[in-house]
Amino acid sequence: MFGQLLVAGIVHGLIIGLAALAVTLVFGIARFPNAAAGDTMTAGAYAGLVAHKASGSLLVAGGAAVAASGLISLLGYLLVFRPLARRPVASLLVAAIGVAFLIRAALGIVFGHQQQVFQVPLAWPIEVAGIRIPPMDLTLAGVAACALAGAFGVLYLTSIGRQMRAVADDPDLARVSGIRPMRVMVTLWLLAGAAAGIAGLMLGVKTVVAPEMGWEGLLSAFAAAILGGIGSPVGAVAAGLLLGIAQEISTPYVGFTYKIALSFAVMLAVLLFRPRGLFGRVEGVR
Amino acid sequence: MTLSVRNIGKSFGGFRALDDVSLEMPADGLLGIIGPNGAGKSTLFSVMSGFMAADAGGVSLHGRPLDRLGAAARARAGMVRTFQVPREFHHLTVRENLMAAAPGQTGENLLGVFLSPRRVRTEEAAIRVEAEATMDFLRLAPVADTPAGRLSGGQKKLLELGRALMAKPRLILLDEPFAGVNPVLIGQIMDRVATLNARGIGFLVIEHDLEALSRLVPRLVVMDRGRVLATGAPDVVLADPAVREAYLGGAVA
Repeated sequence: MFGQLLVAGIVHGLIIGLAALAVTLVFGIARFPNAAAGDTMTAGAYAGLVAHKASGSLLVAGGAAVAASGLISLLGYLLVFRPLARRPVASLLVAAIGVAFLIRAALGIVFGHQQQVFQVPLAWPIEVAGIRIPPMDLTLAGVAACALAGAFGVLYLTSIGRQMRAVADDPDLARVSGIRPMRVMVTLWLLAGAAAGIAGLMLGVKTVVAPEMGWEGLLSAFAAAILGGIGSPVGAVAAGLLLGIAQEISTPYVGFTYKIALSFAVMLAVLLFRPRGLFGRVEGVR
Repeated sequence: MTLSVRNIGKSFGGFRALDDVSLEMPADGLLGIIGPNGAGKSTLFSVMSGFMAADAGGVSLHGRPLDRLGAAARARAGMVRTFQVPREFHHLTVRENLMAAAPGQTGENLLGVFLSPRRVRTEEAAIRVEAEATMDFLRLAPVADTPAGRLSGGQKKLLELGRALMAKPRLILLDEPFAGVNPVLIGQIMDRVATLNARGIGFLVIEHDLEALSRLVPRLVVMDRGRVLATGAPDVVLADPAVREAYLGGAVA
């Protein structure tokens, strides 16, 4: 029982972690809480659903989710967030909520509001060390692992990733060091969108696809981003896993309704003892 | 091959920070800028580096006007500035700080990252070697993997110089490289600047430490209240009564 919940928690945690990665990257570099991240996830889920119906392949669905969410994320930046870039954070947050409603409305109009499901073949669980694991969980965990490897590879092994982290630290210094701000922002939004898209696809496969799914998942993503130390990509993923596992393992004790509340209790408890979050670092003194 | 600053004007509200400032220097030369606080020295650097837009006038390097370029493009055109209060990418290690400033990488582009991963890896290795050499040159090698936010003030000054060097500059604008730096490091920074100048990199240096500056540069520009007061060899300029009046308050005999 515990083992099964742990596995479910890891898969759920990877979903939260990917969404939190999208949130924390935007927060670290564009410097506002992107409330549209949840609905970017939803867009990825629908794109994946359509592609999966057409092809029957999860791989194709993943590609479609990444492409659609990346594109929507980039459009949001070019059409809304870039023109507002120098405004106060509150304006950007409200604008992001507006973008979120817009995406959700568009998805509702195109796909309707009834819940849809991924038609994935039922398969017997695989038994590993006495724990029964549904094969789909393994596939999804693999998908998430690849997505995370891609994202962290870009962030820590390439010039653009280093430049993104540099802009997060000091945007003005980045400019005088010859780092092109536009290129960094475009990459940021593509990367954040792609991460959200994969998260949406996974959530859709695990549960149902509906226009509200991402908005409902947004709070968990924000919680994980804060718990991990806002702006810390590693922290976001670790905290996502922690919250996902906490939610699943607590379900038998607190019931389905309160598992979300419990994950917030975990977040608050950690922040009481470690206000910077798990991976937050002390800011350099100016 | 010259840096040419022509008739720059810049006001903040009613305050004229820069008033018809012009100066010219060979792009591989050494020129010092001195002047009392509020003379407009740092503002001049901000305008030159594309940080602030000038109200009037223009800057050109090697005859190429830079006025329409943003800060990042000016850095890539070969003119890189440092800051009076040293700045660093504080979460990045010293090595990463240096590598972040290397221009023209395939890996600066997501398409490049996914389409030519091998080229990205080769270039990464190359700028890593370059960063290594820069750290050796500036004696930053022992702190290569330290997050830059933890460096001492003097080390941060050296890191600023290093970051400027990684950008492949033709001309570096140094804003008070010796301020708050211990005397041993001052000697080291002066030594490095002289070496780099001998290799053909030009320096425009704002500095309050007149003694150190006079040893470093053959020519000084004196600024006061947003204007150029005098230009010439250090001993000549510093003997000028107008300069003594404005800058030294006539207090030094």
